[in-house]
Amino acid sequence: MNKVVTQPGSTSWVRFLVIVGLVLGALFAGLPVLWMLVSSFKSNTEIFAYPPRLFDESFSFQAYTAVLTDPQKVRYFVNSYLVSGLVTLCTLVVGIMAGFSFSRYNFRFKRVLNLLIIGVQSVPPITLMIPYFGLIVALQLYNTYWALILTYMVFTLPYAIIMMTGYFNTLPRELDEAVMIDGGSSSIILWRILVPISLPGIVSVGVYTFMLAWNEFLFALTLTRTNDMRTVPIGIQLLMGQHSFEWNQMMAMSVLGSLPVLILFLLFQRYFIAGMAVGSIKG
Amino acid sequence: MKHKTISLLLMVAMLLVVGGAALAQDSVTLEFSQWWEPELPEGSFRALMDEFEAQNPGITVELISGPYSTTRDQIVAGAATGTMADVVGLDGAWVSDFVKQGALASLTDMMSEAGYDGSELAAQIQLNGATYMIPVVNFVYPVFVNLDLMEAAGIENPPTTRDEFAAAAAALTNPDNNVYGWVLPLSTEQPNGIQNDVMSWVWATGGSMMADGQPNLVGNDEVSSAMEYIKSLWDAGVVAPGAFAMHEQDKVEEFTNGRVGMMVDSLAHINLIRERNPELNFAITALPAAEGYDGPRGLPYASWGIGVAENSEHKAEAWKLVEYLMSADVNSQLSSIAHAFPGNVNSTPDYVESDPLFAAAFEVFQTGTLANEFVGLPVAETLMREFEEPFQLYLDGDMTLDEFLTTAQDAWMAHFE
Amino acid sequence: MLKIRKQLVPFAYLSPTLILLSVLSLIPIATVFYYSLMDNVIITNVPPQFVGLSNYQEILSDQNFIQAFEHTIILALASVIAHFILGLAFAMLLNTKIIGPITKALFRVVYILPWVFTASIIAVLWRLLLNPNGVVNFVLSGIGVANAPIEWLASRQLALPSVIFINIWAGYPFYMVSFLAGLQGISDDLYEAGKIDGAGTVALFRYITLPMLRPIIVSLAMLDFIWTTHQFTLIWMTTGGGPVRASEVLSTFTYKLAFSSYEFSLASTTAMVILALSTVVAFFYVRNQRLANE
Repeated sequence: MNKVVTQPGSTSWVRFLVIVGLVLGALFAGLPVLWMLVSSFKSNTEIFAYPPRLFDESFSFQAYTAVLTDPQKVRYFVNSYLVSGLVTLCTLVVGIMAGFSFSRYNFRFKRVLNLLIIGVQSVPPITLMIPYFGLIVALQLYNTYWALILTYMVFTLPYAIIMMTGYFNTLPRELDEAVMIDGGSSSIILWRILVPISLPGIVSVGVYTFMLAWNEFLFALTLTRTNDMRTVPIGIQLLMGQHSFEWNQMMAMSVLGSLPVLILFLLFQRYFIAGMAVGSIKG
Repeated sequence: MKHKTISLLLMVAMLLVVGGAALAQDSVTLEFSQWWEPELPEGSFRALMDEFEAQNPGITVELISGPYSTTRDQIVAGAATGTMADVVGLDGAWVSDFVKQGALASLTDMMSEAGYDGSELAAQIQLNGATYMIPVVNFVYPVFVNLDLMEAAGIENPPTTRDEFAAAAAALTNPDNNVYGWVLPLSTEQPNGIQNDVMSWVWATGGSMMADGQPNLVGNDEVSSAMEYIKSLWDAGVVAPGAFAMHEQDKVEEFTNGRVGMMVDSLAHINLIRERNPELNFAITALPAAEGYDGPRGLPYASWGIGVAENSEHKAEAWKLVEYLMSADVNSQLSSIAHAFPGNVNSTPDYVESDPLFAAAFEVFQTGTLANEFVGLPVAETLMREFEEPFQLYLDGDMTLDEFLTTAQDAWMAHFE
Repeated sequence: MLKIRKQLVPFAYLSPTLILLSVLSLIPIATVFYYSLMDNVIITNVPPQFVGLSNYQEILSDQNFIQAFEHTIILALASVIAHFILGLAFAMLLNTKIIGPITKALFRVVYILPWVFTASIIAVLWRLLLNPNGVVNFVLSGIGVANAPIEWLASRQLALPSVIFINIWAGYPFYMVSFLAGLQGISDDLYEAGKIDGAGTVALFRYITLPMLRPIIVSLAMLDFIWTTHQFTLIWMTTGGGPVRASEVLSTFTYKLAFSSYEFSLASTTAMVILALSTVVAFFYVRNQRLANE
């Protein structure tokens, strides 16, 4: 498919170079994660042993059993799924509507609103925390799933809108007009026609949203109070104690946490990559 | 199919939200935010709370536990938005600022209302004449010594003076084997190394970094000599590498792995070290003093302190919980499970009798005096950081002792009126 | 009447977004702006006081702020450039026909690995790897590059480069995935036509691949620039901005002001300066988009 590297006559050494490059890149990306993985099987002392070894006699699944048999930690996973899933869903619905509006209509303040939507993500979250926290308390959302869901939507919506607008822009307007002639409304155009065609774009925004919600720590901690509302990143942080860290359990928990995201990516990668293509080119 | 899943998810979420709110409260529920529960053996702190609830029908305690590293930020945010828990776990370094914020209630008033005389309390952290924090348990910081390394280096007794310590550190250091005499954590993220591993040398010799409630770093012989001493250790190459990014937690791992001969460290780590390296043979001794000093040794410490929120609607009940935690029996239990020293003078943790290492530590504790001058100071963590930066420049040879102390003094003065 | 109703349709579709963002985003930002004009907020025993722009004066003349600002720009530029190069290189490698689809899928999963972990665990992991007794030094001394342990995070010379490296590692997959997508959107005919005209590999890359990817590059660079200026956890948990402010960036500077010195007014002022900086970037982006669309 890619013609850049398939010059006739040079195939064999190009092939060699590509494979070398791929392996080197995979090492760069994967070795640190491999170290995380092997650390999750070690004892806390062996993690600091010098010279470091990949495997040693302390190899065990103890960290995993410790995480998986602790109902509180399992609850963190359940919460993370629930919150990330709902954030993804809500972001998609709201983002699709906004993208449709930006793509299909001309209206006053369009450009200003566009700038604003990009602009609101420009304030470092850490400084917003206290006023934001006050607002959530005032709205009586403190320590609820909705506090987290709405917060993450604020983070993910700008990107989702940029992507969805770009995606809808690539779809010909003739589609809309055909529906209009049949007497259909704008909502039919959007939900029955545009959305089904845009599935790849939607999946790519969805995966991005899911990852952000899955990994967010700061607001998850501030906006929740009780253990039954907390998410995996807080669970990981709780293993970093005042005096010592549970290194292997931290590693085990993040390995476990990454699995669903990786499976999600593996399943959806065709859609995902195709979706990002059109959305971002025309964004 | 898809719609069903979605609406099901939404319903589940709604039920959870509503369910959380609908837990009707007939009795008083005390919120107790702290970082202790995750630090203690699982379920043990909750068990103490259950005991309290049994003794005080009508009061339930809801434990709100967070990671230590973010506890302070959470209290600040909670106080700013009126969501602070009724009872809060505190570190002495935070008290001054929370009092300034108006977040903490005066415990003195509660004590007098409850008719509590306070004579059993080992310490009370006071500001403007009123108590705002009571240390529940204390973690002292003596010197941990790796006995096997000492023996291999031909040193018989743990050092008791600065000169002996320097000599031992030099003998222990062997960069080819990756072993160093001492370890000094000076990370910017957690500047408490300044308190535990640096300023403690001043306090151990009876010195002070303050005078009349004001910073006194310049022209202070005890401070100068301690800093020069640490610099001499640094220049001798006996300090383990990586100091400027090291955390307290890393320090312990280095010691546990036998790469460091001596460290100033919290007693809280004894069990951790044993658990992580059962073969490690180590002892505990007081922080060395300057030659010729025979006064009481100041012992740096950190506390799990307790306070009550100013905006709590259940101050009387909150005080009952404080009193419960400070009572001789409960305080013994808590210090036993935390491997700390009790905040009640009449409490004796059980490990003191059963465990020779802790017995030795208890002796160090009893012959010394608790010293942590950062407790109760405004913006204590910033003070440590403002001291740490020129200190690192001094260690690196980019500042003279005078420049370093003057810079730190000037920075500190800005926070004192 | 009908006309007005019709004009309201786009706003109806936008309304959830507008309500959400104006309540949950504009109100806190406005509060922070208000704080930046006041003195004595949040941690205080005296009532807040209006001080006009004096906080801005104080912040902008603070040497430590200027230094953190410079580091932030260095961090953001280095990250954006390296993310771009790595992201594009990896995307092109993954886009070749040379390897089979299943191998390709597996490689893709390996390549996005840095993206799926929360920032605090990435920080902990790299602290372990870059520890003086860590794997990186072990490997380097094993192949004879270094004989003494290198203090990656603890030396004033290396702290900032190390932090930048970690940020590059953690951030390139987002670019890579976007470029991977972009490459699939480039029609084969273009390359065929280029080859007929006698263009070599380099020329094809320069005159077809890069221009076709340009819109993605611009969007990504803008988003990444803004996100990197916000990067907090990664830097805070590896070096804390130290040693001696060697890796101090605006986010760590602001955090210390707010939660260690309790200078919330000054912290809010810093936030407003960052907002202004990001808005400039966003403005150029929107203008660029407009030009591209016309």
